[in-house]
Amino acid sequence: MIEIAGLTVRFGGVTSLDSMTVSFEPGTCGLIGPNGAGKTTFFNVLSGFVRPADGSVRAFGDDLLSMVAFRRARWGLRRTFQTEQAIEELSVFDNVALAHERSRRAGPSWRHDVLGAISFVGLEADPRARVSTLGAGQRRLVEVARAVVGRPRLVLLDEPAAGLPDDETENLAAVIRRIPERTGALTILVDHDMSLVSACCDTTAVLDFGKLIASGPTAQVLRDERVIAAYLGTAEVL
Amino acid sequence: MPAGTLARTAVVTVLLLFTLLALPQLISLYYVDTMTQVGIYAIVALGLGVLVGRVGLVSLGQIAVLAVGAWVAARLLFATAQPYPVVLLEAGLFTMVAGTLIGLPALRLRGLYLALITLMLAGAFSIVLATTNFPNGGHGFLGYNGSLVRIPPIRRPDIASGDPAYFRYTVIVAALMFLLVLAHIRSRPGRAWAAIRQSESAALAAGINTTLYKLWALALASFITGVAGGLYAGAVHYIYSIDFPAQDSIILLAVVLMGGAYSLWGAVVAALLLELLPALLNNWGVPADWLTILFGLGVLQVLTTAPAGLADQVPRDLARLGRLLLGLLRRPASAGSEAQ
Amino acid sequence: MPSWQDFQPFIVTGLALGGVYALSGVGLVVLYRATGVVYLAFGAVGAMGALIAWSVTNAGGPGWSGWLACVLFAAGVTVGYGMLFGPALAKRDPLVKATATLGLLLVLFGTMDLLWTTSGGESRALSLPTDNSGFTVGQIQINWTQVIGLAAGVVITVLTALFLRHTRLGTAMRAMANDREITATLGVPVRRVEAAAWLGCGVLAGIAGLLLADMVALDATTLTFLVISSLAAALIARLRSIAFTFAAAIVIGLVQNMLVPISSLSNYSDMTPFVLAAAALLVLVRRRVMTSSREES
Repeated sequence: MIEIAGLTVRFGGVTSLDSMTVSFEPGTCGLIGPNGAGKTTFFNVLSGFVRPADGSVRAFGDDLLSMVAFRRARWGLRRTFQTEQAIEELSVFDNVALAHERSRRAGPSWRHDVLGAISFVGLEADPRARVSTLGAGQRRLVEVARAVVGRPRLVLLDEPAAGLPDDETENLAAVIRRIPERTGALTILVDHDMSLVSACCDTTAVLDFGKLIASGPTAQVLRDERVIAAYLGTAEVL
Repeated sequence: MPAGTLARTAVVTVLLLFTLLALPQLISLYYVDTMTQVGIYAIVALGLGVLVGRVGLVSLGQIAVLAVGAWVAARLLFATAQPYPVVLLEAGLFTMVAGTLIGLPALRLRGLYLALITLMLAGAFSIVLATTNFPNGGHGFLGYNGSLVRIPPIRRPDIASGDPAYFRYTVIVAALMFLLVLAHIRSRPGRAWAAIRQSESAALAAGINTTLYKLWALALASFITGVAGGLYAGAVHYIYSIDFPAQDSIILLAVVLMGGAYSLWGAVVAALLLELLPALLNNWGVPADWLTILFGLGVLQVLTTAPAGLADQVPRDLARLGRLLLGLLRRPASAGSEAQ
Repeated sequence: MPSWQDFQPFIVTGLALGGVYALSGVGLVVLYRATGVVYLAFGAVGAMGALIAWSVTNAGGPGWSGWLACVLFAAGVTVGYGMLFGPALAKRDPLVKATATLGLLLVLFGTMDLLWTTSGGESRALSLPTDNSGFTVGQIQINWTQVIGLAAGVVITVLTALFLRHTRLGTAMRAMANDREITATLGVPVRRVEAAAWLGCGVLAGIAGLLLADMVALDATTLTFLVISSLAAALIARLRSIAFTFAAAIVIGLVQNMLVPISSLSNYSDMTPFVLAAAALLVLVRRRVMTSSREES
């Protein structure tokens, strides 16, 4: 369970997040909103790249904001990026192992865990292959594998389907749906693809201009007038 | 061991043996001296290569680091009777500590500002050096006596007092430094550096303590450059502040970029550009300034053609040159065979 | 400890040099804001320009033709570099752009040593007609070159500030400093604005080269690396504010020169710009956040 209270982020004159207060229940949660709403900023606060002006984040009882950025991965925070960040120089195996080899809970079976994560996401590539030789969709999967290896507690997926063709998006949706049961992690999914969000997320929160404007069961939220208005600028039904 | 690595190791071993055993007999003493400098600067170039090519940190002050190593070694060699390897180790360690302490606050800075601060620190250092000078057998902390008439030469190891022997000594130490760096690259720090170089945020998100690994790279580069400084002291016997002019750090960066900051071979190429070419030109009576101009053009060429960042995996022009040479070598061999 | 009177001539030289550092620093800052390039070859083009001026006058040409040659050369090379390599490197990191200017620095440096070698032990000097006339304030002698140095710094700073604020070209430069791509989509002729920035910077490099060659030394290495003093001022101003660049430049000039009469520190006076810049970088530049302030989602 993740509890966000009064989270506020300011960049110069712009308030990217405005007193955001929301709780995320275990399972897969969606986070949507128009461009500029503050979704990636929110993830950056969780990752430790952005320091909030105010507010708190309590994740499974731990104060996340008090941890230095790189320590959060060891705590169990994992994340994928809007523009995919699999490390090109390294092999698939090394990429996925990056987070895991440092985890205190890894244990002697960590190599097995890495290979398990690679097969879980359905990546059919030689683990020793260099990521630079892979296509965009496969690199995405490497990132997702890195996010689910071991025992993560909080998985942040930032537009994982961006730039992927429909069939790969469907595969990805299937993988994402299985993340909570495989890892026990709370997953937050940010995406613009509403079908992906509906398919994967039980609950969804909506940001607009840094403010939380709706949160609850996904189907309900997607029909909410305020949400539609935020996306379309009018109160017209989709 | 996969076939490719076996072949590469074999090539390296053969080259190394050739360099150690045969080369000194084949070339004149002038060039033996030159090749000793090549060995020394290969280590320095390797240090800068680790910083620039592996981690993405640009240092415009590596020559100052070399000077520190040379200073420490000279001081110890004059003041103590310690065996040479011990002095080299101490020079390396001292330089490593100094480099890490000074680098620590600077690591907060972004790429451009980091490079500029290394420029500033190196500049400040060169002025201090102009005043303190290098030890020349005098007493006191600085070991410099400005009024000495006969300056004793800096000693060399007993087993390597002659120039060809010192050349071999240098090559062996250089090989050890390269092995040290290789060991780093193949293990956890190397992987962490790869992540940091591509995306610091991805590295942090993967749990990598980026500050620690940057410091580690800085420590490694400073250590080996300090050792190179020690070798330099023994090579030249007499060191003066003008041996380390400000522009040398810039020229070093230029040749490292041209040779390829990423690969270990690139460091050797860089050292050949830096030391062998000027010696050749000098011998032929051509002013070395042409090289400065060439290196300047080289920087521009590398940077405008490299697709990403300062460290391209293999610089295009050298790769093309390599392929050209291989093509030429292969053609007579394939004259007899049908298929390619 | 020297007396106030001993300091006075050094205050004068400090202000004069500070003024030239200021005009150089302003040139560096404006160029950086408009193009993202830290023009490390600024000193080198000025140096070569000054050497060209020396050659012209040495060959019998009138003084003003030498100065003109210097400024034309500096401006020409700078604009040429900007137009040749600017577009190729436009989308790259500022670090890459700055490193590329080091390539230009090396080319110029090698050329200078080739054409005006100092290995024969010869030294050259550049003098301006204003060196020989001056006036006295109290006990201090001030020559007109020094006045020009300081005045040029002040004038350039003020003019540039006015230019940036009140002219269309200046506003375009400020917009580009903020975001090049958005500015381009607004219909601003980005290439032309950049060319103007390069041109202005080049002209300033030529002027600074002449003044520094006169005030300090006509030596390729010295002049090339004097850019660091101006760069230090620009860095203290975080490559942003022209007013701060001016102030920092004056301070650097003053401190650097006022250390000279203090015998224990005299040898280290040239460290001033390095130390001040390093300190400023460490103190003023706080750790940046990983992502840009313009978030996508």
